Amino acid sequence: MRDTLSTRFLGRTVLLAILALYTCYSAGPFLWIASMSLRTTSEISANAYALPETLHWEKYIEAWTGSNYGTYFWNSTIVVVSAVLALTIIGAMAAHCLARYRFPGNRVVLFVIFSTLIFPPQITIISLFQSLVEYRLYDTLLGLTLVYIAIQLPLTVYILEGFFARIPQDLYDAAKVDGYSHWEIFWKITMPVGMPAIATTVILNFINLWNEFLYAVVLITDESNRTLPLGVQKFMGDQLEDIGMISTGLMIAIVPVIVVYAFFSEKLIQGMTAGAVK
Amino acid sequence: MAVVTLERISKRYPGGDELAVDDVTFTVDDGEFMVLLGPSGCGKSTTLRMVAGLEAVSSGTLAIDGVVMNSVPARDRDIAMVFQSYALYPHMTARDNMAFGLKRRRMPAAERERRVAEVAEMLDLTPYLGRKPHALSGGQRQRVALGRAIVRDPKVFLFDEPLSNLDAALRVSTRNELIKLHQRLGATMIYVTHDQVEAMTMGTRICIMNRGRLVQVGPPLGVYRDPADTFVARFLGNPPMNLMEAAMLDGPTVRVGEATMPLPSRVDPSRLPRTGGRVTFGIRPEDLYEQPPADIAERTAPLPVRVTGIEPLGAETLLLVVPDNTEQEIIARVDRNSTARPGDRVVLGLDTASAHLFDADSGVTLDRH
Repeated sequence: MRDTLSTRFLGRTVLLAILALYTCYSAGPFLWIASMSLRTTSEISANAYALPETLHWEKYIEAWTGSNYGTYFWNSTIVVVSAVLALTIIGAMAAHCLARYRFPGNRVVLFVIFSTLIFPPQITIISLFQSLVEYRLYDTLLGLTLVYIAIQLPLTVYILEGFFARIPQDLYDAAKVDGYSHWEIFWKITMPVGMPAIATTVILNFINLWNEFLYAVVLITDESNRTLPLGVQKFMGDQLEDIGMISTGLMIAIVPVIVVYAFFSEKLIQGMTAGAVK
Repeated sequence: MAVVTLERISKRYPGGDELAVDDVTFTVDDGEFMVLLGPSGCGKSTTLRMVAGLEAVSSGTLAIDGVVMNSVPARDRDIAMVFQSYALYPHMTARDNMAFGLKRRRMPAAERERRVAEVAEMLDLTPYLGRKPHALSGGQRQRVALGRAIVRDPKVFLFDEPLSNLDAALRVSTRNELIKLHQRLGATMIYVTHDQVEAMTMGTRICIMNRGRLVQVGPPLGVYRDPADTFVARFLGNPPMNLMEAAMLDGPTVRVGEATMPLPSRVDPSRLPRTGGRVTFGIRPEDLYEQPPADIAERTAPLPVRVTGIEPLGAETLLLVVPDNTEQEIIARVDRNSTARPGDRVVLGLDTASAHLFDADSGVTLDRH
């Protein structure tokens, strides 16, 4: 009994130590950037790891107004929110069909959708560029939104299909007997019951797209259409890197991600552990 | 209220070689409690799901009140169904679960509330209406599922093994509640189960299915007493009917092991094989006596046996015996005060009026109908 207790205590200690190390590893850079975001570049050059002596909150105002961050932020918000909204609805509908309806080629369709995940983005980017130019969507927020929907859809469908397939068929049958159509069943049963998985995809898509750089840098050129990651890049000149402003810009960029995560994280954890208990 | 008619209904699943339901015909009368009984995979749930509109009918005609329903979607059939898993919507409270079907029918909110409250009161669910399914016990969930069906006031109630997820005690009390409910509502109900006790106690009639085919329909005791074949004979009754190989003798008499006995009185002589032909002899455990009561003594035939085991159950005792000159063990349900011991040789009295003969090959009864 004593051995068991001491073994358990030791086990917990090791586990806590690992978690503490991991927290430092992941939170450290964040705190460092946060501290640099309140210091000027010359202060940082003098001592990169020092804590701020004076808190330069004005840098946030400068970044927002002087460096056009307001526009980038707004552009990112429009593109990402629209894309995530469309992804959630289209992805959930596709996943609902693939999970619930038996039709010839059902698994083939899922496999084809899923197989596109294995291609690195560099493979498709040239053809996407060409397509957008031809459809006059190059260098537009709409074009970028459509591309974002396309690149994130396979993962969204894959995650949601796996979850929806585990919702008991009896629920759907009960709703049918209760008088509901397929369309109503999707909205009144699949969507609310599948909320943990939907929250998972919302967070994943939001974070991925909010931070997305490669497609944005290729498909957007106009200053007024830039998204946040491109805005941050602007501070990285060939000759000079304005580390202080980059940090401030990064902090502005991170806030929405934290807000979205805080809002959906409980559902996310439910989604990740769904089915693990039963 | 409604009459449900199934005429030559068959179901073949895409890619399936065999018919899941094969040429099934029966009618459920208005206000009747029909039980579909059979082992798992016999097609009873598929039949129920076809009535519900959840499975397409491959061939045959399904009608409710004379109106053909084959291509009518589930939502327009005016039926309610209680599922084995209860199928409560996990994101809704008990109240919303019960009102869900009424909302779809655009019932005014006040009327909806009134009906839900009324049914909740009837099922003792009022204190739990604000809870979600995960906060309810198994029995409460079952009652919410039942309530969801009752508030709809449908033409036909369908039950798909609704008691099988309950523990034994709750199952008995819920069974009695369902019987009372049927008496109170007087509604047409179709109930699927593999539990013969449920079938015997609840059904106005039972419909026994095996391998997709309908084997026998009739009142519970009628089916128990006059099984249509050896499958029904073995499926109904616990322990099941004893079935023994037997041979036809002149007279005509029938020989089981070493015992020669007159033909069971219910047998139809015109359907018997000729002398020397094989038949299957059936006798229920309760129709074998250690001491036959005086009123049936004259119609019993002696069956010498060797006792191989005893199972005292308290209210009665089961004797496991092997009739002389056979290898087959059969069961006799005898008095609880039986003194028989394994290894004893005893002569049991067999009630010939309750015995059955079946065709040795097809298993079909040779009794009169």
